[in-house]
Amino acid sequence: MFDTQSSSTARRRPLGRLALSLTVSAAVAAAPLAFAPAAFAAEDGDGGNYLRIATSADIDTLNPFTAVLGSSTGILTLAYERLVEWGAADNAPVPGAASEWKTSDDGLTWDFTFPEGRKWSDGEPLTANDAEWTLNAIQTDPDLQQASGGLVANMKSIEATSDTNLRIVLKEPQPQNPGNSMMVLPEHIWKDIKDPAEYRNAEDSVGSGPFTIAKWDEGQSVELKANPNFWRGAPKIDGIRFVYYKNADAQVQALKSGEVDIVSGLLPAQYESLKGVEGITVNAGAGRRYTSVAINPGAKDATGAPLGDGNPALQDPTLRRAIFMAIDNKTLLEKVLQGLGTLGQTEVPPVYPNYFGIDEDKVIPFDIDGANALLDEAGYVMGPDGIRLDKQGAPLNLRLMGRSSNPQHAQISEYMVSWLKEIGIGLNVAMYSDNQVNDDSTLGKYDLYFTGWGIGPDPDFQLSINRCSSYPNADGSGNLSENNWCDPKFDALFDKQHGELDPAKRADYVKQAFATIYDASVNNVIWYADSLEAYRSDRFTGFVTQPADGGVISGQNGYWGYYSTTPVADTSQLADAGAPTGLYIGIGAAVVVLGGLAVFLIARRRAATSDDRA
Amino acid sequence: MTVALQPGEAIQGAPEEETSRGASWPRYLALKGGGAAVSLVMVVVVGFFAFRVLPGDPAISMTRGRQVSADQVEILRKQFGLDQPLIVQFWNYLVGLLHGDLGTSYTYNRPVVDLIGTYIGPTLLLTGTAALVSIVLGLSLGQRAAWRRGTAFDRTQTSVALIFWSVPTFWLGLLLLLVFGGWLHWFPTGGMSTPGLGATGLAYVWDVVRHLVLPVTAMVAVVYAQYLLVMRASLLEEMSADYLTTARAKGLREDDVRRKHAVPNALLPTITLIFLTIGGLIGGAVTVETVFSWPGLGYLTFQALTSPDLPLLQGTFVVFSSIVIITNLAADLVYRVIDPRLKAS
Repeated sequence: MFDTQSSSTARRRPLGRLALSLTVSAAVAAAPLAFAPAAFAAEDGDGGNYLRIATSADIDTLNPFTAVLGSSTGILTLAYERLVEWGAADNAPVPGAASEWKTSDDGLTWDFTFPEGRKWSDGEPLTANDAEWTLNAIQTDPDLQQASGGLVANMKSIEATSDTNLRIVLKEPQPQNPGNSMMVLPEHIWKDIKDPAEYRNAEDSVGSGPFTIAKWDEGQSVELKANPNFWRGAPKIDGIRFVYYKNADAQVQALKSGEVDIVSGLLPAQYESLKGVEGITVNAGAGRRYTSVAINPGAKDATGAPLGDGNPALQDPTLRRAIFMAIDNKTLLEKVLQGLGTLGQTEVPPVYPNYFGIDEDKVIPFDIDGANALLDEAGYVMGPDGIRLDKQGAPLNLRLMGRSSNPQHAQISEYMVSWLKEIGIGLNVAMYSDNQVNDDSTLGKYDLYFTGWGIGPDPDFQLSINRCSSYPNADGSGNLSENNWCDPKFDALFDKQHGELDPAKRADYVKQAFATIYDASVNNVIWYADSLEAYRSDRFTGFVTQPADGGVISGQNGYWGYYSTTPVADTSQLADAGAPTGLYIGIGAAVVVLGGLAVFLIARRRAATSDDRA
Repeated sequence: MTVALQPGEAIQGAPEEETSRGASWPRYLALKGGGAAVSLVMVVVVGFFAFRVLPGDPAISMTRGRQVSADQVEILRKQFGLDQPLIVQFWNYLVGLLHGDLGTSYTYNRPVVDLIGTYIGPTLLLTGTAALVSIVLGLSLGQRAAWRRGTAFDRTQTSVALIFWSVPTFWLGLLLLLVFGGWLHWFPTGGMSTPGLGATGLAYVWDVVRHLVLPVTAMVAVVYAQYLLVMRASLLEEMSADYLTTARAKGLREDDVRRKHAVPNALLPTITLIFLTIGGLIGGAVTVETVFSWPGLGYLTFQALTSPDLPLLQGTFVVFSSIVIITNLAADLVYRVIDPRLKAS
């Protein structure tokens, strides 16, 4: 049968054979692909020392006027000096493009000094005129306000009185230095750009930070190179490559295989898995974000009319307090976050020690019995099914809303359901998409929900969104209210801190204001999660953290972490963290030999059968 | 299972219908082309209104967590054109579309057409390679399995394919990444090329091929089963046909009876399936692109959903849908060309 009944011809290659030979060729071809396991470790095109940072978030644009995504602004922080920087040690204002600053007694006039010798990366002098041009451009062109519009809103006039002095006159005094977070762009480059709002700033840009943008390979990577003219001195590495990874697990693998040098935003489990891996060092830095459960205290719109569908019983502060007394933040921190964070107090995380914390006697304790007593006393009688009744006699069944994108919300919910049951409150948990949660929380459509904010070094903005004037319009547009709550006592404290220019006095008012929110039991901060990161300590070292003690390398309010790093003496020869190369060569050789044999056999078989084909 | 068999079943009725109608080529073209055009119009309309239902105000989403005043959010809304009545927005969208303008992305602040142009290349490369490999693999294994129905080979091939098919792509992708990327270090863990390698020419191609291996493997493993099963099923139907007995009676080798007589007939439903699934493959690239950080259109869509970046969503939706509609139209046309029975009528 094999060689007598054939009618196929060698010219017509049937599909099956084609597939077989394709498969074989693919196997043969793939063999060498699998080699060079260590090759991607240190193989830089130009042979330089590049710090490769895995970045998970997308980049919208590298235009400082319009970039809003965190990953973009993080890169821009490295490329453009701000007027005033946030210091590495404690987030206090330190010199940036301006070397010093003075405030008038009324707090309205700010003078910034631009010392001689500040240079752009192309060697041109960086002067007060650059700052004047940048700030005026933002203030006069709505298209350029996307990123920093909020920072110039309070500025009445912006003027370079000389090359070395920039004068900003404010409409009303503000405690935050107006130069903080305010990037300065080179006028001699940007004034010639026809449509600055559309400009993507993706290649060979001129900047003033420790690095400049060299190349943006969209969807894949951004390359920065060291700026030799940086006024604090050129970085000790040749540059930085931000490499996109669209999922965190891939980042972890890339760090292990040596394709990237630093990863951040790790989940506790990923962090644990990287502990003790050779050549890798982990860092749990104090985070800037709080995670909390907020209670709807009776949301209102800007006209004072009720907003949303929050359970009216929650307008009673005693009930809210009892609920928070039944939540054991310590257990949550240990069980859900594996202890990788700090126990929550007010909305300010401990990385800002001046504003952090609350008096010990004001802390709401975890106390189930106390909570029950409080509710009994307030007249919430226990119903027959173990659920208390509100003042109208309706059972206290509340809704808890979380984000399906955050698995921790579901984990915390499980604990909360059982704790609240112990004080006679029913909880219906539902997880929604991020946008749905954002919409519903803005419109007051919740009883309880999980929330959290990343807090900047200056607390003014965070406090401002708790004023009575911050209630939104009925359709959710207009202002933004963090907690859908309002208290004239708080507003008075806000005004006090806002007008106070003495840092110590202001800090005291700020703490009192945050304590007022805490005391109102509208937002129970569970924890401030640590920022979990890991880096290849066999390649780079010397990272300066912010704050200095227990701080972070990635995601700083500044450029200190990446700017400070130094290559380990012998970075070009990275130890191969994987299996011995010999093993791969062995496997590869076997595949090649087998593949060759298969091709040979197929060819033989065809030759043999084609003789007597009709 | 049902998904794989549906197209095949759908085709069963098709030839008869067309034969009986005996439509001429121009009429056939007008019929099918018209249908495709109507679908396209529907896509354009649905694409606009469907995404307006999504929760989340783009202007608020984009400024969330940043220091912005209510005025600035209003300015942003005006820039996006969100302050206009829905019907005016729809009109602007239609007028733009007729000029080949899909609007400007909120997030990226650039024309959607540009963005899609940048990201569609990698997606086509990835899905094209995966489609080719899975079709060749699925068809060749499928016909062998059918020919040796009931044997160990048939059972193994069918079960292996089904097992892979039931595996979630995301999970399989991560597993491949873990084993061949992080653990064995054979292949890169993400991206389409090594950043900073500076390779050009052949070296660059080599680099891209290395990056292709894992994502293509993940895609192929999950989809080749449907080709295998349809090929197997349609070949089984042919196997009792009289003309095969005739072929055997002529003394043809068994392999050639299969290849030259049975397979060409059984191939018809499969070819339609191939066209039908190509559109789906491109849409389904989202998961694989996310796992392997592939810089493609799928991930762009995923990103656009988070804002929601309405113009970008509309744009990608129109593009994805158009690809499906066009491949379906192509399937109709190709089917008529390759089926001699239709040609005769």
